[in-house]
Amino acid sequence: MNGKDSSEPMFIERLGAPLGDLVRTLREIFVLLGRTVRTVASERADRREVVRQLFDIGVESLLFIGVTLGVLGVISLYQGCTQLERVLPDFSRAGATYLATLVREFGPVICGLMVATRTGSAIAAQVGSMVVTEQVDALRMCNTDPVRYLVVPRFLAGGPMLLMLTIIGVCISFLGGMLTARIGWEVPYSTYVNLTMVHSHDVVMGVLKSLSFGYAIPIIAAHAGLSAHGGSEGVGAATTRSVVNCSFAVIVLDFVISSSVYLVVN
Amino acid sequence: MLFLRILRALIPPTFDRRETWRNLYKVGVQSYAIVAVTGFFAGAIMVIQTGDFVGRTGATGLLGWGAGFAVLAEIGPVLIGLMFSGRVGANNTAELGTMAVTEQIDALRALAIEPIRHLVVPRFMAMMVMLGLLTCIGDLFALFGGALVSQWILKVHWRVFYYGLIESHLLHEFLVGILKAACFGLSISVVSCYFGLRVTGGASGVGRAVNQSVVASAIGIWVVDLFLTWATYL
Repeated sequence: MNGKDSSEPMFIERLGAPLGDLVRTLREIFVLLGRTVRTVASERADRREVVRQLFDIGVESLLFIGVTLGVLGVISLYQGCTQLERVLPDFSRAGATYLATLVREFGPVICGLMVATRTGSAIAAQVGSMVVTEQVDALRMCNTDPVRYLVVPRFLAGGPMLLMLTIIGVCISFLGGMLTARIGWEVPYSTYVNLTMVHSHDVVMGVLKSLSFGYAIPIIAAHAGLSAHGGSEGVGAATTRSVVNCSFAVIVLDFVISSSVYLVVN
Repeated sequence: MLFLRILRALIPPTFDRRETWRNLYKVGVQSYAIVAVTGFFAGAIMVIQTGDFVGRTGATGLLGWGAGFAVLAEIGPVLIGLMFSGRVGANNTAELGTMAVTEQIDALRALAIEPIRHLVVPRFMAMMVMLGLLTCIGDLFALFGGALVSQWILKVHWRVFYYGLIESHLLHEFLVGILKAACFGLSISVVSCYFGLRVTGGASGVGRAVNQSVVASAIGIWVVDLFLTWATYL
């Protein structure tokens, strides 16, 4: 930095470039969030479009969520019971423990990741291909705000739908685990279904997580889509960016919510 | 189908070595940062979740065992695999899809270059090897993140965390995790190349293909995970 070593600022520049990108992307995402919230507060959203997005996000992901969460339940109980066998062969709390972690952690997070993958990439692909084919500019020319027309319905649909998908996913996953425990370790259903370990703060945490993921994913995906440029290559890049940013946001939000709830409760 | 053709193309191992190295480099460098950060947060989250149970029973020695087992055997490879499929798999589909839409793949065929051997096999090798290696890095960061969180948020000394981890003999789980990751890499590469090569219809076609590719990769990861979990405990 003192002029003698000319490679030093370049090195720092290279080190700082991803950080600068991160800060810029975050700022743009928050600006988009602000504009979306302002639009939601000031104008009525197009109800038909919201319903269509509810359908798109919710119903279309249902099968996907069902398969992945069901498999998660089978795997978790399998792993958990084989481990329990080594330490203490007492499976009476397996179901209760699994349900608690599912409600608090795995249900919202895995659903969030799956929706980030499916819906996040779909939104970015739709919005991105509208951007590169100049349909968004056409919207602007017709005096239609692209945020109001494209982002707001997806934003409004995301939160409630992810919450519902999480509830369904938790049920399916719990059922998958129940079958595994019954077939593999002969745990009776009545022992497995045990709600005593789920506290109210677990439920609050799960709902909080899935709602925040649900509202974050459409905004981040729409941001990636709106910043697409170039032809088909640009759409591909935007979709990739969307999946990565959305999954990453889910993991970071999960960490933030988990640790703050832990600190508040204890 | 594509998987069989890749295997067939591998049998005389005359794939393009430089292309493979280039892909190894690209795949690794593209995603090491995201894998490290994902691993870090995965470890941190698992420690917090285990901490809740540990806090009730007071058995802090089990913290390293619980979190370490969950991260090494299950959560680490799966989360890293999902992030990898988002980063590298989606990118791969986009790249091949763009080549398909702009007729570069037909051009290769016209030059009598087999696209499977030239494009798919190097990616296949690169993803399989790299995801295994990246999972090692991710696991390392996960344990690091777990130690930090146990120190700061759970107020359990990091040494207790590491002793619990070392005493629970998790080498088998670690190796299973790496094996899982390599198989995830395999399935991601086959799926993403498959969806990339059959793109039609311009920019929106590429977007749709990427969407389908990440969805199929995620399902692939879960199914492979199920089978491997089952197979490694037999």
